[in-house]
Amino acid sequence: MPNRIEARMQELAQKKEKAFITYMTAGLPDMEGCKALIRAQEEAGVDVLELGIPFSDPVADGPVIQAASYKSIQLGTNLRKVFALMRETRAEGVEIPIIFMMYYNTILHHGIGEFVRECAASGVDGLIVPDLPMEEQGSLRDALGKEEGAPLLIQLVSPVSADRVPAILNGARGFVYCVSGMGVTGQSGNFHREIMTYLSSVKAVSKIPVMMGFGIQTAADVAPMKDIIDGAIVGSHFIRLLEENGYSTEAAAEYCRTFKREMNAL
Amino acid sequence: MDHRYYGEFGGQYVSESLMNTLKELEAAFEEAIRDKAFLEEYDYYLKQYVGRETPLYYAERLSREYGAKIYLKREDLNHTGAHKINNVIGQILLARRMGKKKVIAETGAGQHGVATATGAALFGMECTVYMGAEDIERQKLNVLRMEMLGAKVESVKSGSNTLKDATNEAIRTWAKTAEDTFYVIGSAVGPYPYPKMVKEFQRVISTEAKRQILEAEGRLPDVVMACVGGGSNSIGMFADFIDEPSVRLIGVEAAGLGIETGKHASAMALGQPGTLHGMRSYLLQDGDGNVQLAHSISAGLDYPGVGPEHAYLRDSGRAEYVSITDVEAMDALMELCRLEGIIPAIESAHAIAYAKKEAKKLGTDGVMVICLSGRGDKDVHTVADYLDGKGYLN
Repeated sequence: MPNRIEARMQELAQKKEKAFITYMTAGLPDMEGCKALIRAQEEAGVDVLELGIPFSDPVADGPVIQAASYKSIQLGTNLRKVFALMRETRAEGVEIPIIFMMYYNTILHHGIGEFVRECAASGVDGLIVPDLPMEEQGSLRDALGKEEGAPLLIQLVSPVSADRVPAILNGARGFVYCVSGMGVTGQSGNFHREIMTYLSSVKAVSKIPVMMGFGIQTAADVAPMKDIIDGAIVGSHFIRLLEENGYSTEAAAEYCRTFKREMNAL
Repeated sequence: MDHRYYGEFGGQYVSESLMNTLKELEAAFEEAIRDKAFLEEYDYYLKQYVGRETPLYYAERLSREYGAKIYLKREDLNHTGAHKINNVIGQILLARRMGKKKVIAETGAGQHGVATATGAALFGMECTVYMGAEDIERQKLNVLRMEMLGAKVESVKSGSNTLKDATNEAIRTWAKTAEDTFYVIGSAVGPYPYPKMVKEFQRVISTEAKRQILEAEGRLPDVVMACVGGGSNSIGMFADFIDEPSVRLIGVEAAGLGIETGKHASAMALGQPGTLHGMRSYLLQDGDGNVQLAHSISAGLDYPGVGPEHAYLRDSGRAEYVSITDVEAMDALMELCRLEGIIPAIESAHAIAYAKKEAKKLGTDGVMVICLSGRGDKDVHTVADYLDGKGYLN
């Protein structure tokens, strides 16, 4: 079976549409509510969904995701339960590509080999590990390479990656995640001053779609770079919206439909 | 072998946006420590400003009481009251050399924060110190000292509101501002090259101590000992003795209320590796891989991880790591006050407490060097509360 992320990216390329990717913390408002939100986003046309596995020390995240992560841990969310959620969701026929966004210690603690096997078995399509730069990816890549149906390791680049970009993109699959600014998630309106040059330079060398994330709230935010990027990722803003609307599936779906429509109309 | 690692420990577990910053830092550091002018300047400030060298004091009454010859490396006599300033001077000189105008630091008890604020004042740099809201409450005096020195103390309200969270926040801020800001890490932790940098800037402790003990005893000591939180004073105390196989190296972690209670700060005791604050090392964690809160009566040892070189020294068998409970440390603290007229920091008292156990095995001809990493002025409130509760003075 082809990887769901890659399949979706090909589909979008054929339709000449941009990808809309959301991030939400797993386990909120509870496991059932989380499943309902995943289904609602699939129906609303979200292309890829990032599920954040809560960790005690989310050092790449700003206050919104930190707080969500903390809350989810308090509710008892852990990797084992999220794997169960994945198996149930897939068994119910949900086919939206899903990425685990998580910190490396959670993987190490679970055991790398076992983690990769469970990802493959439960239908996880990709991994984003923000504290694992390319220099430290060896062990995880080895394990991913050995497992049939293993998730893709999504690569991140930053505005200061500069000469590192070709090496990071070497062998990268799915899409490349371009962090829009310096620092952490959720700093709205704070794109790097050389954002256009930076995105163009990544686009110029990337063989896979280029997504932009960090600090995006509406489709209008990415209007200036619409001819460069292949899609946008919304995290902190989406989480805030979920909280403000009591995790309503309708509010989530409405936001996603609007963003996707507006982005493709840019 | 990958030079960023100590065996399987160390590395650079940080976001992509910090990788080039770390590379620049490494290059600047390696160049600086080979530059005679830089080293002369560092030595100048250590001598004229910090007040080095510090004495290696033969603690005669303590030796008689404990049953071996005990020498104390008096890092408590440094300006600002602990070994922390050695490293701060080195890192701030490096920051200046790299053209940075601002420094940030994390602090738990406030000692590293005070040292960084001091260094920043000395070199006219803007300084922000990240400190957990809980620690700010517990260490008001040090907060005041930092503010007097012109630093801004940023209260961190996330996670457990303590050192580990202050460190997270400092890393987050650094990722945003690395262009003009230098992150002064106070312990032998963090992503490479920090553990190496902190070791090199603390090495002066053992360089002096080795020469001093050879002068005093005409031979190397049998045992060299220091307390271990993140491991900065201990790595500095061990550095020049690592290649002397006859010298036993002992690191003393905080056992808090006892390892078996789960309320302790001994990252090595359970021997579970993990990644936190940019490094792979031993780490206290729960069944889900979340970082567990450390506990120690000493705020400076209250850290769930440990420097990666210590993890390596443990696994390779070169150093031994033991632990001392709150109670044992406080008893040793009082003993040192009364026998030698020295009020040690509670951190350092952990090493004194283990010396008591080790001295008996060593015998009266045995020679032991202990790093007295800091003075206890900052701890008088904690000591008073403790004595009240325990009725020690009654």
